[in-house]
Amino acid sequence: MHITRIAGALAVSFVLSAGAALAHHSVTVNFDTTKALDVTGVVKEVKIRNPHSQIILDVTNPDGSVKTWFIEWNDRNAMVRRKVPFNRLKVGEKITVNVNPNRREDNVGYFRTATLSDGFVLRDCGFAAFREAVANATEITC
Amino acid sequence: MLTRAIVISIVVMGAVAVVSAEGKRSDLDGVWILAKSADIQGLKLTPAGEAAKAKYDHVKDDPDMRCIPATITRVMHTPSPPLEIRQRGNEIQINYEFMDVRRRVPVKAGLAPKDAPYGVKKYPHLGRSVAHYEGETLVIETVDHGAGVLDTLGVPGLYESTQMHTVERYTADGNRMQVVITHTDPVYFQQPFTVTYTHQKLPGGTIENWGCVPSEAGYDRFKKSTR
Repeated sequence: MHITRIAGALAVSFVLSAGAALAHHSVTVNFDTTKALDVTGVVKEVKIRNPHSQIILDVTNPDGSVKTWFIEWNDRNAMVRRKVPFNRLKVGEKITVNVNPNRREDNVGYFRTATLSDGFVLRDCGFAAFREAVANATEITC
Repeated sequence: MLTRAIVISIVVMGAVAVVSAEGKRSDLDGVWILAKSADIQGLKLTPAGEAAKAKYDHVKDDPDMRCIPATITRVMHTPSPPLEIRQRGNEIQINYEFMDVRRRVPVKAGLAPKDAPYGVKKYPHLGRSVAHYEGETLVIETVDHGAGVLDTLGVPGLYESTQMHTVERYTADGNRMQVVITHTDPVYFQQPFTVTYTHQKLPGGTIENWGCVPSEAGYDRFKKSTR
């Protein structure tokens, strides 16, 4: 398995960030939000949809074989409201995605951030930041 | 200038206040999002409730995986999708973005819930509902719930029977709205329990299409490309 920077088993970080802690409860059912790891691969598909978006990555192993990863993400409507620039994800681009690992599948993770080939870090600040912005009548900022 | 301001204020207040024979009703019209996590109180399961919860497997049993709204309680637990309320004379319209649930509840004194129409024609398991006002509070009573999963988020694995009876109470104060749902179901719960939702208004908000597709919502989404 080619995970260029395994923050996983070796660098499991406690990532109870504000976004994760306040995330949709079903996320914690499927994903271990106390752990995070980086997965580097080439974007095969981007499906921005409801109730869960999905990025499919082809990850090349050291032996040359390819493993497909499925990266779950938030629902489309929420990300549109939060002005998440998901259109920056391009099929064919090599990116590194930081994920919470799935509890059952070893090739599935929940999106935290994606570092694109130009160095841009794509993220969704989450519902808590959005509702705070609404309450304060300000624009959401990440 | 002051007089003009007062006149404008009176006009605006008159526009938003809905006055019934019982007095001023809460102005619930608008699009709302959750302001904080829901609060659950008084939850005590019967042995049947405990057994059902223990057997619950979200991969197989969660109606979300089939794009089916389990219950109004469950729909309202979802943090991001807003809901829209429109008080229209003798009908309350509630449009939930989550799972595209469009609910219509008659406001009719004397109508028993069991004789009321299904609130959501597409999903009769969400029950028959009728509304009335108690002072400023909108009250929606619902019976004839379909037996099945009650909640998958607040406390995953709660079930309801056909004996479930819910009472929703809506009050608003400016940009804040509180909804308290009282659940009574002697099959799975030892006593009535409440779920309280606190909302804030989403200025300029709209309800968008959800468009859930079962093949994209089920657990198999983790195992294959959908292309």
